[in-house]
Amino acid sequence: MPRILLGAARKIASNYLLRRLLKALFTIWLVASITFFVIRAMPGNAVDILIQDLTIQGVSPADAEAQAAAMMGINLDQPIMGQYLDYLGNVARGSLGTSYKSAGMSVTKMISQVLPWTLFSVGLALMITFVLGIALGALMAYRRDTWIDHLLSNVAATLDAVSPYLIGLLAILLFGITWKLVPIMEMRGAMSPGMKPGFSLAFFADIFKHVRVLLLVYVLSSVGSWMLQMKSNTVTTLGEDYVTVARARGLTDGRILTAYVGRNATLPLFTRLAISIGFVVGGSVLLETLFTYRGVGFLLARSISERDYPVMQGVFLIITIAVVFANLLADYLYGWLDPRVRISGGGN
Amino acid sequence: MEPILSVRDLTIEYAARRGKVRAIRSVSFDVRRGEALALIGESGSGKTTLGLGIVQLLPSTARIAGGSIVYRRYSDTGQPMRETEVLTLKDADLRRFRWAECAMVFQSALNALNPVLRISDHFADTAKAHRYLSGPRQGAALTERSRHLLSRVRLDPDRVWRAFPHELSGGMRQRVLIALSLLLEPQLLILDEPTTALDILTQRNIMDVLKELRTQLDFSLVFISHDLSLAAELADRVATVYAGKIVEIGEVYTIFRNPHHPYTIGLIKAVPTLTSDKSELTSIPGSPPDLIELPSGCKFHPRCPLADDHCRREEPELIDVESGHRVACWRWQDARAVLKAYQV
Repeated sequence: MPRILLGAARKIASNYLLRRLLKALFTIWLVASITFFVIRAMPGNAVDILIQDLTIQGVSPADAEAQAAAMMGINLDQPIMGQYLDYLGNVARGSLGTSYKSAGMSVTKMISQVLPWTLFSVGLALMITFVLGIALGALMAYRRDTWIDHLLSNVAATLDAVSPYLIGLLAILLFGITWKLVPIMEMRGAMSPGMKPGFSLAFFADIFKHVRVLLLVYVLSSVGSWMLQMKSNTVTTLGEDYVTVARARGLTDGRILTAYVGRNATLPLFTRLAISIGFVVGGSVLLETLFTYRGVGFLLARSISERDYPVMQGVFLIITIAVVFANLLADYLYGWLDPRVRISGGGN
Repeated sequence: MEPILSVRDLTIEYAARRGKVRAIRSVSFDVRRGEALALIGESGSGKTTLGLGIVQLLPSTARIAGGSIVYRRYSDTGQPMRETEVLTLKDADLRRFRWAECAMVFQSALNALNPVLRISDHFADTAKAHRYLSGPRQGAALTERSRHLLSRVRLDPDRVWRAFPHELSGGMRQRVLIALSLLLEPQLLILDEPTTALDILTQRNIMDVLKELRTQLDFSLVFISHDLSLAAELADRVATVYAGKIVEIGEVYTIFRNPHHPYTIGLIKAVPTLTSDKSELTSIPGSPPDLIELPSGCKFHPRCPLADDHCRREEPELIDVESGHRVACWRWQDARAVLKAYQV
């Protein structure tokens, strides 16, 4: 028996992918466990908060307590280690449990209802940001020390410094109230009431109408740092000897821009892109709340205020999984894009 | 036959915070068809600027303040085909001039190839940019020619062709670059310190490759180096460059046997030979001048053992001292005395 185990261990140690997967699983378990205990260390719990709500509505404290316990059907007196083991067992079986607040509603279902909206809005914003950041950053580097570089550098640094929440508030204020460009109602929610989801032009037009300001805020709040990073990468690459030699070889400017400058300058950005893809599932708690956009961030914010532990755990868990696997993807992507870090000498 | 390259009164300046850096001051020389010209000088003498100036790849802080660079294309049979003023070439014409007519191999071999592209891609890119070997069998013909060139520079094409730059040693990369420079059959090849970053054995190897290529292929060479002995191996003519000016130019044999400029003499004396006594080895006192605030008169006078009032007052121009041997020195006739002076 120990011999078989030893053999298996050796096999795992010698296989790079397997080793990375095990590490990833370990990370996920660690983060999930920390989340589990930390959210229970927060003051108050779901029942307390419900009791508080009921008391405010005029129910007597004793009645409220009984009512709350019955409504939620949970046993908060169970020892915390027991709860933890239950949770791990559930997760291992693929179940994220049921919500405390919306009794009987499975967490998986709640997340899958909001996830598409976040993936759509943040994913689209990330794509726009990436392309825009690379294009403008490269432009700044090519036009270094001209007015356009100075202008864009200042804009990028400012956007990078201002908090997304502030940009969001300003956008609502300027577009919705000062300039009246976008009706306030179109900034709230992901689609108009009564809209039927489906593959129709009207539906896509409607969800785009609702997401556009949020999208703009997402792009504005992150494009600055992409631009600055791309600029500095491009400036460095432009000074490389192989770019000068490429010019001496008479290559066309287009070829030098894409294959010589562009490819080398964007290499480090792809790692960042892959990691950002991981964070796409999380959305932005502040911005989704500000725009009442019912995505993952919105759900997370609500579940935190209600101390709905299973929902919080579920959301944190899927964010963790996405980020860990995005990191894994980033490593592989980088190895594929940059021949110098290829794992098993793929040269010959 | 007229030379393939005629540089006349070329002046190149850099803008610096302290003022104008006068890197090249009114330089004139010819490169004849099939010959190898060596430009020799200390670092900071302006010889790399000269090379970059010929292919119009000067950094943006540099400015060509005057002069002309005339390039003449000859057919394979030696018939003159066309004459080009390189300094007026723009955009696409300039792009086509580079590498197809005049290829330049740079000093920094280690970083001259794009790290994310295979060696084969570098050849393909170059061919494509110049529409070289176009036609139905372009791919195969190009591969064949490239691999042939790689074996010419003593590389194993099977090992190198599909490799990435980081998989090759510095010497191999430099040889890849030399092979690449010959791809489009340029008339003129500029080698800027092609062996400087390499160890002595690799350096030997590259020099042998270059000598071999010179006998097999038909191209002219401008060899930029600080090393007189390397120049002597490869060059037909040698020009010594000091403070952005050619101070002596002549046949390689003449320059070595009968140098007339005190600076050239100093350079020769600074190189040890197998037969010379160690005590004969000397260095030139002082250091190269500040190119922003140049000394008056002859720029070499602060370091010259022969300098007199005339030298300090007025800068000498190149004059013929014998057929094909030109020197810019007021006291070239006393040059022999310099040999003694350095030994003190």
